[in-house]
Amino acid sequence: MKKFLRFFRSMKFGMILLVLVMLLSLAGSLIPQQESAMHYVRAYGSQAAQVMIALGVTDIFHTWYFYALEILLCLNLTLCSILRFPRTRKAGREWLSRAEKAEGEHPLTSEQREKLCAYLSARHYRLYETAGGKVYSKNAAGFYGSFLTHLSILLVLLFGSLVLMTPDIQDRTVMPGSDFILEDGTVITCESFHIQDDTGKLDYASVLTMKSADGSQEKRQEIRVNEPMRFGEYKVYQQTYGTAGRVKITNHANGAEEVMFLTDPCFLSIDGRNGVYFQALYPGFIQDEEGNYTLITSTANSYTDPVYSIQSIADGMSTSVLAFPDEELRIGDISFTFLSPAEYPGLRIKHVSSWLFGGLYFSFGLMVVALYLCFFAVPVYVKVQPDAFTVLSPKNQQGLMIDLGALLDEKEQEE
Amino acid sequence: MNILFFAALVGYFVASVFQFVGASMKKEALRKIAHIVFLISFVLHTAFMTWRGIEAHRVPLSNQFEFASAFAWAAVVMGFVLYKRLKQEWVMTVAMPVAYLVLSYAAFQPMEIKEMMPALRSTWFVLHIGSAAFSYASFAIAGGLGVSYLVQLKKGKSETDAKMKQIDYMGYRLICLGFLLLTVVIFSGAIWAEQAWSAWWTWDPKETWALITWIFYAIYLHQRLRLKWQGKRMAWLAIIAVILVAFTFVGVNLLLPGLHSYAV
Repeated sequence: MKKFLRFFRSMKFGMILLVLVMLLSLAGSLIPQQESAMHYVRAYGSQAAQVMIALGVTDIFHTWYFYALEILLCLNLTLCSILRFPRTRKAGREWLSRAEKAEGEHPLTSEQREKLCAYLSARHYRLYETAGGKVYSKNAAGFYGSFLTHLSILLVLLFGSLVLMTPDIQDRTVMPGSDFILEDGTVITCESFHIQDDTGKLDYASVLTMKSADGSQEKRQEIRVNEPMRFGEYKVYQQTYGTAGRVKITNHANGAEEVMFLTDPCFLSIDGRNGVYFQALYPGFIQDEEGNYTLITSTANSYTDPVYSIQSIADGMSTSVLAFPDEELRIGDISFTFLSPAEYPGLRIKHVSSWLFGGLYFSFGLMVVALYLCFFAVPVYVKVQPDAFTVLSPKNQQGLMIDLGALLDEKEQEE
Repeated sequence: MNILFFAALVGYFVASVFQFVGASMKKEALRKIAHIVFLISFVLHTAFMTWRGIEAHRVPLSNQFEFASAFAWAAVVMGFVLYKRLKQEWVMTVAMPVAYLVLSYAAFQPMEIKEMMPALRSTWFVLHIGSAAFSYASFAIAGGLGVSYLVQLKKGKSETDAKMKQIDYMGYRLICLGFLLLTVVIFSGAIWAEQAWSAWWTWDPKETWALITWIFYAIYLHQRLRLKWQGKRMAWLAIIAVILVAFTFVGVNLLLPGLHSYAV
């Protein structure tokens, strides 16, 4: 059992886990993920596809074994970190005491000693006067580098998983000028949406207003890609956009007017029998010499010559009609005026705890600082005796030795 | 103004050849010429990037051409900084061809200045891509030092030789720097992705390959720090790792479409 636990917390086991995560990631990047079963049958053949689906390699990052690897890595890191901490705390004192007892390795003249002491002081080395000579130390915080790095990886995995798993996400399309209500009563109103800015640059921006259920809080903001709106624990993103048809319906009997957006096929009627059945909005058309229309379905060139495909239904008779913007169609007392299409935004509304994001970003920052401490704040102790000096450090100090060598050579050259 | 770019490219090539011949034949004069040509080329390269930035009204890092150009520029900067610190010719013998090869790759990419797409207009843009350029440059020079180490070994130099130890150590230090910067790249990318696409991690091929590269270098560093691996084995690992970096940079864009496809 002891042997097993020792292996479980060992670096060797950590390396094995990292290699496995790396290999699964490699497979996950080379095999298309989360495609339909038919996609794999076409690409790899029926039998191979069956095996792949059964093994979960078609959605490898959400398989039980990938999660198991992450959990094992977390446990390995936790045990490593916990066990390392007491040693880390003692390390500073131990190295200082080792430096106090160390014998000088590199001989020094008195002038060189002065120069060395001045050099170390100028580089903010901390001085300890000991019985055996002066001990200069620097970067004691570096002892915590490795511990903090492992701790921060653990925190990144923990907060990262929580952030990925917990948010409540919904995608909504909203027409400019309209609103919708979220489950808790928060109202989101889209005032306007545009694809290009004033200079003609692509922009995709929506002006939104969010209001809390009790009306106590309200916020208005223009959102665009990279600039989501934060409102309480909600975050609203400019996710996508679309083009919708518009029709003005006038009831001549009472003078009422209403503008409606047309996205999906629908039947527009007051009495349920007579009216207009909207089929689709096409971005353009080509008319030949005989007056026949060919409708363009590609939206690559935007809606240059929009045309509405509709069915006019009156007294049980249905007629296919193409309607162009500003064209009016009257059926009984109701007239339908088709307007120029309008763009609308697709919003993503995410409800996620702010402290989880705070935790994740803190872990990111901690890891960068920890890696800096690990690599570039290596603890170093320089013991300077009257006739010699020595450098002690838990890691290679070749860089410092090069600098000190140059410093002392310089002295020799001057001499 | 693209003439500046091509002049820098030719300059890096000439400097690499002179440096290589000078190092092989131990001709100091040739090396000096190489250094001067390299410095002039760097000035031209910097002027080109500055002009492009002014012309495009943004930092020129938004597509494969601009990124490769920045990557080469970062390699030259690192080469100069290391050379100034170490005063060792082998630094330049590695940095010069690295800069030339990366800039040659840039020369094959479309060069026209395009409007930056909305998704790239972010405060994280410079930190994310700038760190990537310097990270890749560190890894590339470390890989070059790995090649240099193996060549010296083949020529009969001992692993205990002071120069060999220095090459080995400098390769390791560059990997430390590159690893730290790659971590910044991944984290800044995650924060940016959350702002732009609402998810901080989506297993997009570029993200996945950045993670694969990161894990590989993490293994390298653990082998070095804990198992005290040095010399030949580390040189080989540094070279293999550069192949991963190259695939993350070029291969993913060409072969594995994803959210980063605009980087082509």
